[in-house]
Amino acid sequence: MIPFTQYVRGLAGDDDLVRLDGPFEVPVDVLAAEALRASGPALRFQRPTGIDLVSGVFSGPDQTQQREARPWSRLSLGLGLDPEATLVDLLETISTLGPTGGTAEPTYTGQAASATDIDVQDLQFPQSETDTWPAVTLGVASVSTADGTHWGPVHGSVVGGDKLRVRVPDALSSLVAEGTTITIALGVPPAAITTAYLLAVTDQTATPIQSCGVTGTVPLVPTNGGLVPSATEVVMETTVVDRQPDFRSDRREGWEYVVESGPLSLSVERVRTTETPVIPLSPVGRPLADDLRLTGLATAASLYHRLNNYWGISPVEWLMLPAEAELGICFVASDVLYGGFEWQLANILFSFSSLFDTVVIVDEDVPPQDFGRVLADLWLKSHPARDWVFSEPDAPAATRPHYRRDNETGSRLYVNSAWDPRWKETYIAPRVTFENSFPSGVRDVARVLWDEPDTA
Amino acid sequence: MSVNSLRAYLDLLDTTGWLRSFDQPVSWDLEASAATMLANIRDGPIPVFESIAGTEMAAKLVGDPYRGPQTRPWDHFAQALGLPSGLSGRTYYDRVIERLNAPQAPRTVASHKAPCKETVRTGSEVDLLSFPWPYIHEGDGGRYSNHHTIVAPDPDTEWGTWSSHRMMIHDSSQASLLLLAGEQVPNRYYYDYEPRGEPMPVAVVIGAEPTAECTADMWIPTGRSEAAFAGGLKNAPVDLVQCETSDLYVPATAELVLEGHVRPDDRLDEGPFGDYFGYMNGPRRSMPVFEVDAITHRHEPRIPFCVEGSGVGYGQNSTSTLRLVAAGPDATVGLRAAGFDVSMAVPWRFTSRTVWVIATDRPYPGYLHELANFIFTTWGMLHIDFFVFVDAAVDPLDPRAVLTAIALEADPDDDFHQFGVERMPKVPLNIYQTPDEKGSADVGTSKAKTAKAYIDATTDGDAPDMTATTETRKKAQERLVDAGLDAARFDRLDEREGQSQ
Repeated sequence: MIPFTQYVRGLAGDDDLVRLDGPFEVPVDVLAAEALRASGPALRFQRPTGIDLVSGVFSGPDQTQQREARPWSRLSLGLGLDPEATLVDLLETISTLGPTGGTAEPTYTGQAASATDIDVQDLQFPQSETDTWPAVTLGVASVSTADGTHWGPVHGSVVGGDKLRVRVPDALSSLVAEGTTITIALGVPPAAITTAYLLAVTDQTATPIQSCGVTGTVPLVPTNGGLVPSATEVVMETTVVDRQPDFRSDRREGWEYVVESGPLSLSVERVRTTETPVIPLSPVGRPLADDLRLTGLATAASLYHRLNNYWGISPVEWLMLPAEAELGICFVASDVLYGGFEWQLANILFSFSSLFDTVVIVDEDVPPQDFGRVLADLWLKSHPARDWVFSEPDAPAATRPHYRRDNETGSRLYVNSAWDPRWKETYIAPRVTFENSFPSGVRDVARVLWDEPDTA
Repeated sequence: MSVNSLRAYLDLLDTTGWLRSFDQPVSWDLEASAATMLANIRDGPIPVFESIAGTEMAAKLVGDPYRGPQTRPWDHFAQALGLPSGLSGRTYYDRVIERLNAPQAPRTVASHKAPCKETVRTGSEVDLLSFPWPYIHEGDGGRYSNHHTIVAPDPDTEWGTWSSHRMMIHDSSQASLLLLAGEQVPNRYYYDYEPRGEPMPVAVVIGAEPTAECTADMWIPTGRSEAAFAGGLKNAPVDLVQCETSDLYVPATAELVLEGHVRPDDRLDEGPFGDYFGYMNGPRRSMPVFEVDAITHRHEPRIPFCVEGSGVGYGQNSTSTLRLVAAGPDATVGLRAAGFDVSMAVPWRFTSRTVWVIATDRPYPGYLHELANFIFTTWGMLHIDFFVFVDAAVDPLDPRAVLTAIALEADPDDDFHQFGVERMPKVPLNIYQTPDEKGSADVGTSKAKTAKAYIDATTDGDAPDMTATTETRKKAQERLVDAGLDAARFDRLDEREGQSQ
């Protein structure tokens, strides 16, 4: 388990975080969004109060540009993997954080957030140009019931010195009544927020964390709400004052496209922080935002696990809901086992997720880090008439796209950009690559040429 | 001021650190190509191979000279046009479109003033094999010239028509030309010269100046001269000189000119070849024969070549870059001239001859259908299967923005439009048809027809816009650059218009 501050220090140590000193004339969410658009490093906004903000820590480079780092590299580091870990390594690791089918006794340690002489406004949450209130993002809500502690993602606004309006998954809302205490944890270990997202996107928020793998890796501490990671930067204990406030926000965190969510009005009873707290922020609603990446990875982990436990074998090489497509397209690389398998594969994905109604299938040998090749094969290997396959127009609209928001049914689409398993081997064109197109001796000559110093 | 020759362009690259000369002997047999492909993959400098092993002729090979930097593929070409480096893509397009809207007729020069006539060989002196044509990919059908401009007769223009078709070398005087029916020059051969039993005069211009080189890949309509558009781009007339053995005119500063004719009713093998789709394309097929009658060239000619197949996915090469930096603005001009309210037409970065993205307004119902119908009937469409339409406000040079538009706005129910099922022609270079469907390619198109499609990824005007104001974004980018982030990655800090000519 890696605490959030250690994780942030690790990013800085890897030259993957840049510090910006306040004051900030430009809203910090715009700075965060522009850094993400430019595939830049994570940002740390250093403020005179000693309460810093960080952005981009759960996101990464734009995959439509060639970059050495992967968009999942930072989160891999945060979950204790090598930053060079493969996408599949990360997806499998995320899966282990979720429900295990058993129960585990948590490890308890002391609470890192022990400073209490502070209210919510002192935290100076960021406020965008167009928002009325400062925004709270990338939070984990913790609720205690007789079954245990339940976690879910939370985001919202600070509407007064002791008032929050937030949105949480309906499944979490259903566990609370007016007067119930909810604890909001900010700056939790990456494993904890990833778990909250995983539970949300798989609609398992009602499963107590005592039955999840995260309990074995993240030390916890009790609060008046529920258990939270002991290494949490900011712990806000709140009371539900209204379960149906009139609160709508144009901004939705990524998980809200996956599950139903609802508003809560909360009264903040107590705020605890670490000595010099670091609070994560996501520029919600902007391209490549952290919440979008987390949602995409958590959803991909869940779908990858389900698909490879569906046929009795594991044909799926990788699966991705890129933030670059705003989670509106699912890309999957798979062994196409037999003619028609691609239809099965796409339609199982439609059964397991309502986020998207477009699936793109590529061959299993296309590596996920070579998204440029995916975005070429999508068009090159699919026959425009035969391989763009539309369903009857009777499917419900997916939740992520903007079209058909009126409950009308429509078609789904899968694009088969994989070779047809019924084709003869001789029909399949070899790729032009450095490895395929030149014998090893010639490749060596080429490498030596470039590696020698330029004497001109 | 625009550069006047390939050499001047290479010198320009040299001054910016984007050129690397290799003095040690390098073989034309895969080595030069492999080294070039590595540079294309690594986004490295443009390689010039000064010494070609086993060749008496003092010729140099240049690998993918027009490949642009991956962050701003138009940057080198902008400098070749005398524009500043660091322009945003949209600004670059605007500046190039201005020039394309003001074509300049070429001017002719006498032979003794044309650098391409420094050496003239005719009759028994003609020897194609004395030049170091590269063998580009293991598995290719032969050695190729594939980075050149073909000049062919055109009864509707004074200066002929220019295009680009790869050429496989067979012997000292013969090559096979990949002529795919449906394009202008192949049509002239298959449906005019050959039926009359007449040889078609052709000149293959290797190492033409940049603005001439790029017009060969444009969709210039019949009756309009590529030479004039090259002059417009250059902001000065292009110098042309008459061929030694025909009435054709060729760019005078070219490195090397092969004069000859395409024989009627004669074919030689062509292919397979690692093609622009990024796959080895077969099978070997029969293509028209180019017979060389004369060769003229500069001293120590620079022979550019393109490692086709390396310009897909993240990779860039000369042809993928030229499509982006030249064919894109040209198509934008053409569509506007046809009355369409197009902001930008841009080839898809990852496979530039399969998909194009068009940013456009939608002034009336049915507009996109009309626009798609119009462009699918143009002669360049044999290669292109898809058009993606996005809002005029979407930057079609930003693949992320385009992908987002497809994901969020293109409804599978209403927004994917196939123009009939398998009614349309297709070049047999594709990889999604079986060999049977491709057939023998008698005139260079597949036996089986295919479909063309367009995707309407424009908004219906109801999506909330959460983007900060342009001014705020620019301030944010400036702040981030001050903090040490790479300025080249930002799109609103690069409008250095004051420097442009």
